[in-house]
Amino acid sequence: DDEVQVRQKVVKVDPQEEADFDRELRALMQESLDSRKLEVRARPTLNMMIPMNVFEGSANHHHGRGVEGDSGDETLDEEGGGVKKEVQVKVLVKRGNKQQTKQMFIPRDCSLVQSTKQKEAAELEE
Amino acid sequence: EETGEDENFEYGKGDFTEHACRYCGVQNPACVVRCNVPSCRKWFCNSRGNTSGSHIVNHLVRAKHKEVCLHKDSPLGETILECYNCGCRNVFLLGFISAKTESVVVLLCREPCLSVNALKDMNWDLSQWCPLIDDRCFLQWLVKIPSEQEQLRARQISAQQINKVEELWKTNPDASFEDLEKPGVDDEPQPVALKYEDAYQYQNVFAPLVKLEADYDKMMKESQSKDNVTIRWDIGLNKKRIAYFVFPKEDNELRLVPGDELRLRYSGDAAHPAWQSVGHVIKLTAQEEVALELRASQGVPVDVNHGFSVDFVWKSTSFDRMQGAMKTFAVDETSVSGYIYHHLLGHEVEVQVVRNTLPRRFGAPGLPELNASQVFAVKSVLQKPISLIQGPPGTGKTVTSAAIVYHMAKQGQGQVLVCAPSNVAVDQLAEKISATGLKVVRLCAKSREAVSSPVEHLTLHYQVRHLDTSEKSELHKLQQLKDEQGELSSSDEKKYKALKRATEREISQSADVICCTCVGAGDPRLANFRFRQVLIDESTQATEPECLIPLVLGVKQVVLVGDHCQLGPVIMCKKAARAGLAQSLFERLVLLGVKPFRLQVQYRMHPSLSEFPSNSFYEGTLQNGVTINERQSSGIDFPWPVPNRPMFFYVQMGQEEISASGTSYLNRTEAANVEKIVTTFLRSGVVPSQIGVITPYEGQRAYIVNYMARNGALRQQLYKEIEVASVDSFQGREKDFIILSCVRSNEHQGIGFLNDPRRLNVALTRARYGIVVLGNPKVLSKQPLWNSLLTHYKEHECLVEGPLNNLKQSMVQFQKPKKIYN
Ligand SMILES: [Zn+2]
Ligand SMILES: [Zn+2]
Ligand SMILES: [Zn+2]
Repeated sequence: DDEVQVRQKVVKVDPQEEADFDRELRALMQESLDSRKLEVRARPTLNMMIPMNVFEGSANHHHGRGVEGDSGDETLDEEGGGVKKEVQVKVLVKRGNKQQTKQMFIPRDCSLVQSTKQKEAAELEE
Repeated sequence: EETGEDENFEYGKGDFTEHACRYCGVQNPACVVRCNVPSCRKWFCNSRGNTSGSHIVNHLVRAKHKEVCLHKDSPLGETILECYNCGCRNVFLLGFISAKTESVVVLLCREPCLSVNALKDMNWDLSQWCPLIDDRCFLQWLVKIPSEQEQLRARQISAQQINKVEELWKTNPDASFEDLEKPGVDDEPQPVALKYEDAYQYQNVFAPLVKLEADYDKMMKESQSKDNVTIRWDIGLNKKRIAYFVFPKEDNELRLVPGDELRLRYSGDAAHPAWQSVGHVIKLTAQEEVALELRASQGVPVDVNHGFSVDFVWKSTSFDRMQGAMKTFAVDETSVSGYIYHHLLGHEVEVQVVRNTLPRRFGAPGLPELNASQVFAVKSVLQKPISLIQGPPGTGKTVTSAAIVYHMAKQGQGQVLVCAPSNVAVDQLAEKISATGLKVVRLCAKSREAVSSPVEHLTLHYQVRHLDTSEKSELHKLQQLKDEQGELSSSDEKKYKALKRATEREISQSADVICCTCVGAGDPRLANFRFRQVLIDESTQATEPECLIPLVLGVKQVVLVGDHCQLGPVIMCKKAARAGLAQSLFERLVLLGVKPFRLQVQYRMHPSLSEFPSNSFYEGTLQNGVTINERQSSGIDFPWPVPNRPMFFYVQMGQEEISASGTSYLNRTEAANVEKIVTTFLRSGVVPSQIGVITPYEGQRAYIVNYMARNGALRQQLYKEIEVASVDSFQGREKDFIILSCVRSNEHQGIGFLNDPRRLNVALTRARYGIVVLGNPKVLSKQPLWNSLLTHYKEHECLVEGPLNNLKQSMVQFQKPKKIYN
């Protein structure tokens, strides 16, 4: 019951500040990249197998708080007939040597999920 | 020993979360990440605020830190972001990839893992590597952007401030924004503003001013030690030792008030060891004596009367509570409603109407009928989240306030909190509100529990002592034991305290209305209470931080009552006053365009007395609710120059002098004439309690008191009963007859205290039946407002000179007023 309408002032970012910041950010990125490239080190061994349990449905996986969208309120429910704006993904993380998956919502228009969508589309066409 | 009421209570600490963004204060766990550099570990949010990059990205870039950790309550839980394959934690290298066929994603570093060809052969799609930091912001689906509301309520920080604070963190990792704003020793503090970006900026401006005032207050009070004090001993009804003594004061120095703490010391002699004890002032007698109730009852050298020393015991409580309230205002989103938050900071907010069913009649039981402007004020206030009521002298502020509180309490939104800066005003309100039949609890500071009050039966401590139920008999038994023995065994003391606290809570919770001073609203006994509706009377006499204390307990609807044409808050530190600490919240809201509802009918002054104040201070809007006949002092034979106009300006040409102390002024001829006027009143049948003598100078006040006692033509006792005091101490009160002695009379220096129009307004509006002003027109006429007052008196043939029994029109010439006042 505490709806409050504050007249937003338009935030003007100082272009000089923006340019300075951008330069510093790019420098930091470049420096990070260079430092890795220069590290004389064997190519890493790959340890990227997707664990089997990920393929077996998701009932028992760790659920982070907020999966039901306490912040991802944009997700429309399927029964509602609306197009879902978000898709659910499993994020694979390592805790020490153990693998864990956590569920998250990613906006449908994120490039990351393009391949999944293409796949779905392909399946539909079949 | 129970030293303070606030042991183990940290103000404004309660709601501070460590994971709040160190730039802006946003604390939503889904929106913040922690910098994972061991020496840093600060939290930042993912909002851009007023900068091109988000706060966390800003920090990482400025500090050259590269690792972060998510919050435990975020969707992924407490997770250090790192490459799934190699464990690299540099966020500037990380990005997500997804599996080709499944909805599975992992974080992978750009170099080297992303460029390993072998991955392509596995199930991963490398073509869509999605960097963690995109457009100078963390991926929004991983670290949420705070909502617009959250951002509006946060500290509005600029890129320059970010650079400054990052610079400061390099040498002092715990530095805060307050440190950034700290003025140097000799700097003038940052002045108050009309609008503030956010509550942090507000705090940055006010906190140093409150600190300045606190330091000054401490220095002043601690330097007030007096030696060679003579004591008269007594025992109170509660069997405690009471010391009576005279504690002289000067202009601008502290006025002792009941509840103040003093330390009494005796350095010892052949027959007595050195001794000292702290006590509370419980009253100030008309004979200028202080009554101090001592905490210790053992070992008091009661057979000694001379050679004591008295020190002031300074307490920081009220200042701590102001600082605490400002902090709560900034960090606790629930402290005040969003609407009030933005309104107080001067942001442009769409008008909001409080939807409450309005009562059919706006008066309240037990109160006098309301007049039209009072009804209008009550009705309007009930429908607005923030409102101001301006109550010129005698217009029924208290009755109107009580009626508002009555209707608020009947709306069923929980308990109503009613405050005022002074105890006197709180007592008056509590009494009126209680008359409507509401259940009122008057919460007093612990140090004032021994101070007598006209509403004692409403006070919490009284109600605790007199609550009559069988469960309370245990408490009563312990209380009795404590009273008799002075102390309890430690287990009994524990039990006593717990029982007392529970009883206090129970009584407070069952009240409709809690009344306390503004500072009292920060009492730990109210720490867990929430008040959606708050009314503050005399709010124009409170500083902003003081006013904030009752507001940050969850307010959604606030009514500020006061009169910005009368005296404002007293600020002792000139630096703080210059910076604007003396401006009340009420005044700032008026400057922001909030139009106060003005009560327009005055019931105090004879219509002749209200004419000048109405025209000079209230644009002529003050109407008279009393007639000339109702203010006719029948049977009183007093030489008013114009019958039916009980007022005159008595021309005085006597010289002003510096008082004996060297810090104040007095004027002997004026004092002598005050005595003659007082005597004439008394002779004509006026009783002492009807008369008030107002003078702005302590030197003159003391001189008049002395002079009347020694030279008064009538019984000494009569003069002793007459109140002689400063303008300030008459604010909020009235007398039938007022005698105003202006004192200053020199051609070259200013007229000091009398220069403030608000002080003149207060001085002129205390009298109900008649007023006599004594002063030098030649000097006073230089000031434009005094010039118009003198002209007013002259035009009405009330500017007179000569002996009291033969007053004649004065032909004294006025000087041209200096053009601009201020
Ligand atoms: Zn850091
Ligand atoms: Zn932030
Ligand atoms: Zn890697």
